[in-house]
Amino acid sequence: MNQKNFPFDDDPLWYKDAIFYEVHVRTFKDSDGDGIGDFRGLMEKLDYLEELGVNTLWLLPFYPSPLKDDGYDISNYTDIHPSYGTLEDFRLFLNEAHRRGMRVLTELVVNHTSDQHPWFQEARQSRDNPRRDWYVWSDTPEKYRNARIIFTDTEQSNWAWDSVSKAYYWHRFFSHQPDLNYDNPAVREEVWNIMKFWLDLGVDGFRLDAVPYLVEREGTSCENLPETHEVLKFLRHRLDTFYRCKFLLAEANQWPSDVRAYFGDGDECHVAFHFPLMPRMFMAVRLEDRKPVIEILEKTPPIPETCQWGIFLRNHDELTLEMVTDEERDYLYDEYAKDRIMRVNVGIRRRLAPLMENDRRRIELLNGLLLSLPGSPIIYYGDEIGMGDNVYLGDRNGVRTPMQWNGGWNAGFSNADPEMLYLPLISNALYGYQAVNVESQRRSMHSLLSWMKQIIRIRKSSRVFSRGSLEFLNPANHRVLAYIREAGQDKFLAVNNLSSSAQAVELDLRRFQGLIPIEMFGGNPFPRVNNRPYLLTLGPYQFFWFKLRKL
Amino acid sequence: MAKGTFLSDDFLRQLTAVGEVDILVGVPTSNNRKTIEHVVSAIQIGLVKYFSRARTVLINPDAGSRDGTSELLRNASLPDFRTALATPPLRTMHTVTTRYHSSLGPGGALRLILAAADLLRAKACAIVSPDLISITPEWVDALIRPIYHEGYDYLAPIYQRQKFDGLLIKNILSPLISAVYGYRIEEPVGGEFGLSGNLACDLLGQDLWHEDFIRYGAPVWMTATALSGNYRLCQSFLGPKIQSSNQVEVGLADTIQRVVGALFRSLEMHEPQWISRNGSQTVPTFGFQSELDLGPLRVNRKKMCDMFRTGVAELFSILGKILSPATLASIQQVAQSDESCCHFTDELWVKTVYEFAIAYHHSVMNRDHLLQALTPIYRGRISSYLLENHGASFQELKARIESLRVRYENLKPYFITGWRAKA
Amino acid sequence: MENILVNSLTTTLQNLSGMIAHFLPRLIAMIAIIVIGGIIAWILKVIVRRFLWFVKFNQICEATGFTQMLAKAALPSPTELLSRLVFWVVWVSFLLFGFNALEIAPLQEEISRFFLFLPQIFVAIVILFVGVLAANFFGRATLLTAVNTNWPSPRLLSSIVRFLIITLAVTMALERIGLGRGVVEIAFSIAFGAVMLGLALAFGLGGRDVARKLLERHFLENEEKEDDQDGGISHL
Repeated sequence: MNQKNFPFDDDPLWYKDAIFYEVHVRTFKDSDGDGIGDFRGLMEKLDYLEELGVNTLWLLPFYPSPLKDDGYDISNYTDIHPSYGTLEDFRLFLNEAHRRGMRVLTELVVNHTSDQHPWFQEARQSRDNPRRDWYVWSDTPEKYRNARIIFTDTEQSNWAWDSVSKAYYWHRFFSHQPDLNYDNPAVREEVWNIMKFWLDLGVDGFRLDAVPYLVEREGTSCENLPETHEVLKFLRHRLDTFYRCKFLLAEANQWPSDVRAYFGDGDECHVAFHFPLMPRMFMAVRLEDRKPVIEILEKTPPIPETCQWGIFLRNHDELTLEMVTDEERDYLYDEYAKDRIMRVNVGIRRRLAPLMENDRRRIELLNGLLLSLPGSPIIYYGDEIGMGDNVYLGDRNGVRTPMQWNGGWNAGFSNADPEMLYLPLISNALYGYQAVNVESQRRSMHSLLSWMKQIIRIRKSSRVFSRGSLEFLNPANHRVLAYIREAGQDKFLAVNNLSSSAQAVELDLRRFQGLIPIEMFGGNPFPRVNNRPYLLTLGPYQFFWFKLRKL
Repeated sequence: MAKGTFLSDDFLRQLTAVGEVDILVGVPTSNNRKTIEHVVSAIQIGLVKYFSRARTVLINPDAGSRDGTSELLRNASLPDFRTALATPPLRTMHTVTTRYHSSLGPGGALRLILAAADLLRAKACAIVSPDLISITPEWVDALIRPIYHEGYDYLAPIYQRQKFDGLLIKNILSPLISAVYGYRIEEPVGGEFGLSGNLACDLLGQDLWHEDFIRYGAPVWMTATALSGNYRLCQSFLGPKIQSSNQVEVGLADTIQRVVGALFRSLEMHEPQWISRNGSQTVPTFGFQSELDLGPLRVNRKKMCDMFRTGVAELFSILGKILSPATLASIQQVAQSDESCCHFTDELWVKTVYEFAIAYHHSVMNRDHLLQALTPIYRGRISSYLLENHGASFQELKARIESLRVRYENLKPYFITGWRAKA
Repeated sequence: MENILVNSLTTTLQNLSGMIAHFLPRLIAMIAIIVIGGIIAWILKVIVRRFLWFVKFNQICEATGFTQMLAKAALPSPTELLSRLVFWVVWVSFLLFGFNALEIAPLQEEISRFFLFLPQIFVAIVILFVGVLAANFFGRATLLTAVNTNWPSPRLLSSIVRFLIITLAVTMALERIGLGRGVVEIAFSIAFGAVMLGLALAFGLGGRDVARKLLERHFLENEEKEDDQDGGISHL
């Protein structure tokens, strides 16, 4: 293990300052010309990621899998899918990442396995197989009727019939993903063994996939159960006992008050996604009204000092609309996915740039919100250059197309024949790789990529972004979202114009009387704050970031 | 406050903060503490329930209430939308309160509301009285939907009324407006209206705000302007209108002076538009109109009749200047007839109203005096109307009102001849 | 004898010619003054007419009911009337100036007295005029209010108001000219009348609405005991 190259090992709260970059090995760079990205390819591109400024990589599942759910159906937890390389490749990549000061987060998909996993194959052999109890079986599909069905487009029930052992098995997701039985201590022990395997290789943390659904109980929704939290506490305890500076990230698509439980008393997960905030940022920009964002953040309970929210705009899944009211969902569908083909399950399968109609100002505004609201931001690969999507690819593959490196052969992603690529490239006139690619954006000082590098640099310049408190200013103009973030002596003010027209706003900054707002992108001082309302005018979708300095 | 403006800086600042809106609801208040919370929450629930995606604002011009109406409104919390069968609002809900001088009357409030509609580029506006007890969230839908979704410019309400409710409207305003302007509007002076942003801007732009009649006659003028121009008109059924009775009662003579005066003045202004119009057309009506009879009212007819007789006798010289000799003679005949059968025919009544309008137009005397002289004759007409329709059913009464409208229409040439003649 | 006759004739003739020589320039001056005065008066008349037309004097008078009253008395429009008045006053003044130029002592005295008196007459006429107008207006207002509030004998009330206002106006006018001076009793009664008028005016003008409401309430209350005035019906 290469611990020497770890410049940041001593800060156990490092994940609070993380800027995540979410990437699938398959999508990033193909080094061997088979049309599928791999670890050696990803390693090649670490310089690019370092240059971008992100400091934590979140890798989507890269384990051996029948790939019926993009790798979330794992058939071997302790190996690498042959298309992506070998364990040795992974080890090399990990060292290279660490050398550049980047941490690596991997997926721990342990709510379920693939139905091809040897455990399940054994379990279904007979009703008295020792592995039988590793999964949840029933003779009737009537158990746990209160649990909702998540993939409403494809599944009718949470129970699937196993013709081999003549019984029903429990699955919260696709029927080819049988759920593991956490009431069985052997399963927990095995999960810890898997974690240990990767931690020993040098992995810095795990994203716990589908964490609310680990345990089932009759008469409940089978989500967020106390028994599930028991499992998490068990894993966290083991982690803290044997390792330092590692962390767990919970994927719980729930209301903040329910997600809060996944932090425990600082003894479960370190970070959890803030799902409800995401659609509300999109809604706020469309409504030109700050209300949704303020409401949800005010409803968000405080979390333990050692914990952090993970916030994001887009990810590899659909833009999920589960955490909004029916009225809000209809509104978002109508505004962002007028065409039904853009919708999947309870959400919208589109990338950031097309959602923003490729409006640079709105893309910047949303990234500005992402990087200045409390939490560790997660950037989805390709969004930093404004990549487009392909809604005709089925399921959520439209947002998982190859990374666009340049305008050349296969966008610089692979030397294979274009037909061999795991998914076709985006090639339309607006978002196609000839128009949108890293190479061309790198050459322009004014490209989205250059701007993203700048804003990430600014974000990293102060811990007020990652660790500061949040206080909303409520100017009379509801089109302006303004907030103060404070950490010790550091004071930060963000003023965002959510509307498509120029706005004037008067801020009550009397508490900061005498301070000088320094605009952080250009470094220019603004007029000193006095006891009168502080007047600012903002252009369409413009935002200001100010450092409030005492001079 | 800057010179030469009727918008205070504070009001303007509040409007700036609201920004562009789709729907604006104006509620002018003046000491309405008792009812205002109910009215405002009905409006807010209505807006959220029926126009959840629209950008909305509630504008409240207050005539210097001393009972804390505007404070109550400013500090009112949003109603509980979940119990009101509506989802919580998507957007910030704005309430803008401003003061205006009570001497400007309801016209002053209207002007502020129209100015706000213009500045905020509202697509649809509704004006709602602050003293309604019977308002429901459905009223908001009824007042705004035809404007916002169907593209109408002006919406007049239709209320469910008691049999002898709104007699001035039934006997003068509605049929006269229908006959002269050519559109059958049932309630030209209801307290509730719907306006398109377009019409609001046009009304605001008219150089009439200094005129006296606008203070209290603004609703009539607004209706008349909408009818005279090239606007799309409609009506909408609201249901029973029940108002809180804490308002100071205005005497009949004053009511006539304000409302009929405003109508006569509007006729003068819109002469080029209506003088060549013939017949009348119906106006699309939204909503389901129930024919529930709200029960009879107790009326003292004898007193009215007496006042009519005295009036005709005492005002003989004044009426002589206003009315034609034939009409005056007929009225005298009615006044001198037997006590029980004070019978005022439709024909005579319509001629009387027309001749008053003509006399008003030619300024045969001080216009306020002229309007006051109409009051006793109106009393005579009402007394006759009540007697004749005492046992009439809802349908029969409707037919009577319709025939009166036709009478007004038939006599329009008579009116135009007099109107055009030089004094 | 012949000489005396001739002498006296000559003297007389001389005197006459002297007188004529003395008087003729004054006569010419008088005629000149009168002619020029006429022209000035005419110009003034045009100016006044234009001015009144410009300030829409006719419309103002129409609103107060003044025009209608003039029309009834077969008089021209208010603008015309006022401009003609200006013409005549100016021209008569020049006429008198002209006579004055003749330097006939008794005439001069009368003329100067006339000039001293002229403004008084003018003011008196205006007072009378306004008084009559006000009397008509308030008389009618009283009548209408009384009828609409069911006050007993409205015409009598109206006549009292009218009479009081006219009396006041006449006394004021007379006093202007100086005719009523000695009559203290009259002055006193007029003063009393003025107070009454003031009250009437206050009721009729300033507090018209208040007064009406008071009256209405009073009568309504009384009548409600037997029966409502309009019953429970609403007109709007």
